[in-house]
Amino acid sequence: MFLEVKDLSVDLREFKLKDINLSVEKGEYLVLIGPTGSGKSVLLETIIGFYSPDNGEIYLNGEEITNIPPENRGIGIVYQDNMLFPHMNVYENIAYGGRNKIPEEELEKKVKDLAKQLKIDKLLSRDVTTLSGGEAQRTSLARALIANPKIILMDEPFSALDITTRTKLRAIIKDISIHHKTSFIHVSHNFNDVWNLADTVGVMKDGKIHQLGTVSEVFSKPENNFVADFVGVSNILKGKIVEIAPDVAKIELENGTIISSSDTECMSKLYGQNTKNNVYKDKGGENDRKDEINDDNKVLIAIRPENIIFSKEKFQSSARNQLKGKIIDLIKNGPNILVKVDVNKVIIQGLLTANSADVLEMEVNNEVYLSFKSLNVKIIDKYHSFEL
Amino acid sequence: MRSKFEIGFIGITVFITLLFFLVIGSMFLIPSFDGFLNALFSEEMGFAISLTLYTSVISAFIVMIFSIPTAYTLSRYDFPLKSIFKVILDLPMAFPEIVVGIALLMFLGANGIGSFLESIGITFVFNETGIIIAQFFVAFPYAVKIMYSAFEGIDSRYEFVSRSLGYSQLKTFINVTLPMAKNGLFAGAIITLARCIGTFASVLFVGGGILMKTETLAVSMYLNLSTGDIDLAITSGILLVIISLITIAVMEKYIDNSY
Repeated sequence: MFLEVKDLSVDLREFKLKDINLSVEKGEYLVLIGPTGSGKSVLLETIIGFYSPDNGEIYLNGEEITNIPPENRGIGIVYQDNMLFPHMNVYENIAYGGRNKIPEEELEKKVKDLAKQLKIDKLLSRDVTTLSGGEAQRTSLARALIANPKIILMDEPFSALDITTRTKLRAIIKDISIHHKTSFIHVSHNFNDVWNLADTVGVMKDGKIHQLGTVSEVFSKPENNFVADFVGVSNILKGKIVEIAPDVAKIELENGTIISSSDTECMSKLYGQNTKNNVYKDKGGENDRKDEINDDNKVLIAIRPENIIFSKEKFQSSARNQLKGKIIDLIKNGPNILVKVDVNKVIIQGLLTANSADVLEMEVNNEVYLSFKSLNVKIIDKYHSFEL
Repeated sequence: MRSKFEIGFIGITVFITLLFFLVIGSMFLIPSFDGFLNALFSEEMGFAISLTLYTSVISAFIVMIFSIPTAYTLSRYDFPLKSIFKVILDLPMAFPEIVVGIALLMFLGANGIGSFLESIGITFVFNETGIIIAQFFVAFPYAVKIMYSAFEGIDSRYEFVSRSLGYSQLKTFINVTLPMAKNGLFAGAIITLARCIGTFASVLFVGGGILMKTETLAVSMYLNLSTGDIDLAITSGILLVIISLITIAVMEKYIDNSY
């Protein structure tokens, strides 16, 4: 493991980081997301050495760096507001990053090469206070890169930039990440950073990492209702597992509606190897199953709105779940429309393009059928549900 | 067209500024120009000017040396009793300067550490050293206050970035913090120098106010007023105003407000 953070806790009185565990491989791009105040920036600044942890260890390239001063860690940092030194011009800012590592005769060439790569070679004599947001951020990145850091930490580097600049900078950073095999930890509020840059994603709240995994894992299989809600799974429903078969579980919602889920991986996690074995043995043995299915089997299920198909009539499909409900609200969401449907007092939300909504004559109080595959019904670990 | 609000506020500002101008300008209503010139080129005035500048420059330098780390500490670090430290350092600004003078006299005199210092051959009162000490204690809190604001205005993440680039705390302080605080440092140095030049009561007490020995410009003004030598007193006052004007003008000219 290139960077490893073990059981890290930091108490800043007004804020605490609790039992943080994460690891980043060489060349890996980790994006940390989470609401404001969740501790993402404090985590970065603890990894780089500006806060001393109360507990836990940090290893970089096999060496423990927990108590090493920041200047000896070899970790670079890029902030949202770039933190370019105002008393130095662009060249001096970049050169400052390499001045104590690179001989003076090589430094100029290195600054110019890097500036060219980041497309700021024409700005080298400019006063940093006259740079645009994108130019300043490229300069800041160049200053971090010239020191040849083992890993670069980025604290919301694009949040003050316009969409075009952001897109260009993402491409540059992706290129650096791939070609220089530089590891990144990138704090962001923007899911586009996740889609475009991340190999892995960490979701933080209240000083804890709630889920760390690949992008597809976190977005398609959130581990708890906070993660599900944060990554945009707006249908999080309470229910109880009432039947388990090898490939499908049936969940009874609070209103009595039965939903099928094929989230077998999560089922085995919830009920353990023993249950898994029993399920296979007792296939169809409903009497045996009832002993195991009790109030402890309460779960939360998550369905992404984009996985719900709407129709005016019931239709034959491979989707195991078909529910009838009444439209209670239609909310315009960019080019899409979020449709809220009351299914026997349980509200389920689905996403449609505006065009589809017109074709399907979606209007408040109209009845509609909702279909979704059991594969798209994710069971959220019952032991990790949080107040949203 | 200005609003009533703007006209009201601008009017108050103009009125107060004119009032100050008239009061300060009254100092220049000298009884006779010849008397002023004679006083200006007198031996006593020459001594007072050189002693004032000599002691003030030394005091201001010492104040800067100690106030920079103190202000930085108060701005950046948390430690037990920090708020009490701040109160103690602010206190001399709140009470009359004469109290600083008496307190220093008590501390450095026979009742304090004076007897001990005298036994090893060091005397801090009624001499130039006493003047420098008095100026230091009066000016130090002002310098800390100005420098503290300067350091507070610098986001500590600039220092984080510098350290992440391989620079130690000391190198970061020299390369990043001090240059970024240069406006505050310059303002602090000028105000400190002006404060040292104008220190009166504490210099009178600790220096002793001895004619042609510990006679700074402010003390000279007081001594000559007491003896009825108005020309010398007013000349001292005019010189103090001119020196202050120059220091403030230098500060206004060289402080760069670009960041």
